[in-house]
Amino acid sequence: MLKVYLFIQYKYYKHVYPPDFAYYIPNSIYEAVDFLGRYDNARPLAGGQSLLPMLKLRLLNVDYIVDLNPLKELDYVSLNKDYMEIGALTRYYEVLKSSIVNEKLPLLSMVIRKVGDMQVRNMGTIAGSLANADPASDTCAVTLVFDADIVTTSSSGNRVIKARDFFKGPFTTALAKDEIVTAIRYPILEGYKFNFVKVVRRAGDYPLVSVAVAVKLKDGVIEDLRLGYAGVSQTPYRPFEVEKSFIGKSLKDSIEDIVSKVVEGVNPPSDTRGSSSYRKEVMRNVTRKALREVMG
Amino acid sequence: MGVLANKGEKVKVRVRVNGVWYERYVSPRMLLVDFLRDELGLTGTKVGCDTTTCGACTVIMNGRSVKSCTVLAVQANGADILTIEGLAQDSKLHPIQQAFMDNFALQCGYCTPGMIMQTYFLLKENPNPTEEEIRDGLHGNICRCTGYQNIINAVKDAAGRMRS
Ligand SMILES: Cc1cc2nc3c(=O)[nH]c(=O)nc-3n(C[C@H](O)[C@H](O)[C@H](O)COP(=O)(O)OP(=O)(O)OC[C@H]3O[C@@H](n4cnc5c(N)ncnc54)[C@H](O)[C@@H]3O)c2cc1C
Ligand code: FES
Ligand code: FES
Repeated sequence: MLKVYLFIQYKYYKHVYPPDFAYYIPNSIYEAVDFLGRYDNARPLAGGQSLLPMLKLRLLNVDYIVDLNPLKELDYVSLNKDYMEIGALTRYYEVLKSSIVNEKLPLLSMVIRKVGDMQVRNMGTIAGSLANADPASDTCAVTLVFDADIVTTSSSGNRVIKARDFFKGPFTTALAKDEIVTAIRYPILEGYKFNFVKVVRRAGDYPLVSVAVAVKLKDGVIEDLRLGYAGVSQTPYRPFEVEKSFIGKSLKDSIEDIVSKVVEGVNPPSDTRGSSSYRKEVMRNVTRKALREVMG
Repeated sequence: MGVLANKGEKVKVRVRVNGVWYERYVSPRMLLVDFLRDELGLTGTKVGCDTTTCGACTVIMNGRSVKSCTVLAVQANGADILTIEGLAQDSKLHPIQQAFMDNFALQCGYCTPGMIMQTYFLLKENPNPTEEEIRDGLHGNICRCTGYQNIINAVKDAAGRMRS
């Protein structure tokens, strides 16, 4: 009986719509942030690959949508002396197509090639993922590995927020109400080895746990170590203290130590993807695998 | 000044679908898939999960595949859209459609329009994909019937036909 009931419910409530909202098309970045500041419960729309599902599932309600898509000036990739700048409206597709990104930021390519599926990457943007701040987002985690500069604009001007200061909690960032991300600057990490290991329940899903690794070695000794996790905490997670404590040590001899230390600082959430203790176990495993592979 | 449509107001959307321009006034919350199916009567595009997972609603927008249940019709304003109805030419099936038929790549057929449109995009990007690349390219499309094997075969076959 229950099954039949659920089936009927599913059948009739299946086609989900976003709630009614007002829709604003700005002509400039200034108009967009000005509007966001003046109207309550207004949100920017980029690729819509998180915003629309969240609206449809009523995880979120908005009164005004400010469509950033007409702001073509935010769609670019440019290489500067020691960083790569990616405009807020650049789709994942374009980032992956860019040969300079593949050459200069191999870790970023490695990670975002595995974000969602092709259709999602054809619409979605890095900036949208950062602003969304899903604790399970690999894009947020890898941006934290780079400790990228997140460039923003609001009615009161521009500022730069370090990735490590950007994520404040699940789906919560340092952005003000009238502030949008306009670009992300990824520093070019020279002389590093990179790896990315992601565990998913089904193809195309957010990770249960993933880790992005950047490590700089000299004769097998760690000069710099960066580990960025998705799915293990309220925000993307980097064990800064643990990373620091292994500088100057041999990577080969430290892997098991690192594996046991990284889980100490986290209390992962339990949800439909997995329980807290399972996530910790997976966190240990992806760390071990990622570091062993880096060793070659 | 920018343009604001208040709640309840409709917005003009002009799109070119399968080569024909259409103009309609729609609510901003209307999804592209419903625009195609309900406003234009192009019911070849299907709705499966409605939550960006199954790919049944995949269409080509400005040359790239998108899940039309997760695009607003207003986001498609000015766009060029290709749906399953636009593939056949002069009653002759597109090579991808023919390859799906010849390889028994469908049973109920519900996922097929989405599979074919995603294949169309995949082969445009990569005319000679490896099996792994095909599986990676299609993993946003779910099929409950075939077990995928024949779909993979069809995509390989289609790639060969389109190259020759
Ligand atoms: C099926 C599926 C699988 C996915 N898998 C993964 C995955 O494996 N890993 C992963 O990391 N992500 C995954 N994602 C999430 C995906 O990466 C994001 O949904 C998407 O790229 C977000 O970008 P968007 O442009 O679509 O943002 P939108 O959906 O348009 O916006 C998201 C949020 O950010 C805000 N916003 C957007 N742009 C800006 C801006 N410039 N300034 C300020 N605020 C802004 C919006 O108001 C909204 O709150 C998946 C999504 C789907 C649907
Ligand atoms: S109906 Fe759009 S992805 Fe399933
Ligand atoms: S043929 Fe039935 S879902 Fe694919």
